[in-house]
Amino acid sequence: MAKTIMIVDDSASLRQVVGISLRSAGYDVLEGCDGVDALKKLTGQKVHLIISDVNMPNMDGITLVSEVKKLAAYKFTPIVMLTTESADGKKAAGQAAGAKAWMLKPFNPPQLLSVVQKLVLP
Amino acid sequence: MNYSTPSPAGTRNTHAKASARFLERHPSTVVAAANMVAALVHAGLTVTLCVPWLVTAAVVLLFAAVVVDRRSGVRKTAALGATGAYVEGTVVLGQEVLPVWSAHIESSRQQMESAVGALTQRFAGIVDRLDQTLRSTSQHGEQGLASVFEHSSRELNGVLESLAAAMASNGAMNEQVQSLGRFTSELQAMAEEVANIAAQTNILAINAAIEAAHAGVEGRGFAVLAQEVRKLSSMSGEIGRRMTEKVRVIGDAIGAARLSAETSAKREAASVVTSDAAIKEVLDRFRSVTEGMEASAEAIKQQSAGIQAEIVEALVQLQFQDRVSQRMTHVRHNIERLPSLLADSRAHFDHSGVLAPIDARSLLAELEGSYAMADERVTHSARTGSTNVVATVAATAAPVEEVTFF
Repeated sequence: MAKTIMIVDDSASLRQVVGISLRSAGYDVLEGCDGVDALKKLTGQKVHLIISDVNMPNMDGITLVSEVKKLAAYKFTPIVMLTTESADGKKAAGQAAGAKAWMLKPFNPPQLLSVVQKLVLP
Repeated sequence: MNYSTPSPAGTRNTHAKASARFLERHPSTVVAAANMVAALVHAGLTVTLCVPWLVTAAVVLLFAAVVVDRRSGVRKTAALGATGAYVEGTVVLGQEVLPVWSAHIESSRQQMESAVGALTQRFAGIVDRLDQTLRSTSQHGEQGLASVFEHSSRELNGVLESLAAAMASNGAMNEQVQSLGRFTSELQAMAEEVANIAAQTNILAINAAIEAAHAGVEGRGFAVLAQEVRKLSSMSGEIGRRMTEKVRVIGDAIGAARLSAETSAKREAASVVTSDAAIKEVLDRFRSVTEGMEASAEAIKQQSAGIQAEIVEALVQLQFQDRVSQRMTHVRHNIERLPSLLADSRAHFDHSGVLAPIDARSLLAELEGSYAMADERVTHSARTGSTNVVATVAATAAPVEEVTFF
């Protein structure tokens, strides 16, 4: 059965590009346009990995990580930050919130899939 | 210099002109002197001194002071008016011009986002269709043409095998017919033997009748017996002849059947050979067609995969929109801060009459604080003089690919 990955980004085009990369590798994809939308869509179904932007309206990515870690069903779901944000302070905040990796945009699909394969839980 | 004593009026005029020139050059000194003289006059010293030229000078100076004061007032009023107009201009800039700039930037950003989004969606649709085509081609390539060929080949070879089996069966029947031919010969011989025995029995009966005639009355019963034996031999001979006739007819029929079977076997053998060749030719052609189709399908598959990869790469390149959008948003937010700074400056001017400069460095620091991307910071540093432009260009042209695992 295909593994499910959630992509959270306020840029629709970026969600589509990530979605194409993941679907072509056999993953099912859930999409959220910001932190609030992502939390609404985490309704108990199995999600093997979350890929999130950092700078988003309504709820930023680092807050999203903190909120996801409070949910029993997703406490151990690994989260990758996929962002243009390169400031060390933000990275440290992401790590402190519980993110597993920090990946800078623009990404290339093979590199993204490599990160996904390392972090997706069985 | 002419020190001749002038008339009082001329002296006053000369003094007034000289004073006016002096006033224009040194207004503050004149004003100070005038104020001093005025103060002295006010103190009543003029009564003590009582010197006419000094009075004249004091009057002139007082007049000049009034003129200068008026001019200064006019200038101050003009300057204040200009500053006020300037401040009003900056307020208009902040309230009317900057929002338009900001709106243009935001509109451009939204248009770009919308266009790139639509472009991405179209590309994504093409990638999906290509993916479906590739999957379909793979399935048909592996299970379609190859399996159809294998199935057809098996079926046609089965037909050939059936023909060969039928021919073998006909051959066995032919052999049996031929063996029946041998039996008819034996039956022919046996029938001829029966006829011979009947002929001999007839001769024997004739002899017995002759002997019975020689025996006279005593041989009468024997003569009857001999006659009956003769009748039987005659009947046996007749049956022998009929048997011979029937066996000949059967032999002829069997011979005809054998000939027919042999002809049929030859035709079937030729037909099998022809069918075998035809089937092989059909299969060869079919194989050629299927191989051609498979090669075409493989070429289409490879081309589709190549196009799909190119489109995915183009989609990856479209990520520039996200970066450009962020930069435009940061600049727009910074521009949108300026109207409130200009309004504050105006309020300060209105309150104090002093025009304080806008805190541009603070605004720049706010812009820098909003950056998310390394190339934004590099561009900023270059423009503010802390990094060279070549490094900026290199940094913006070569985006960093970096993953950090925690």
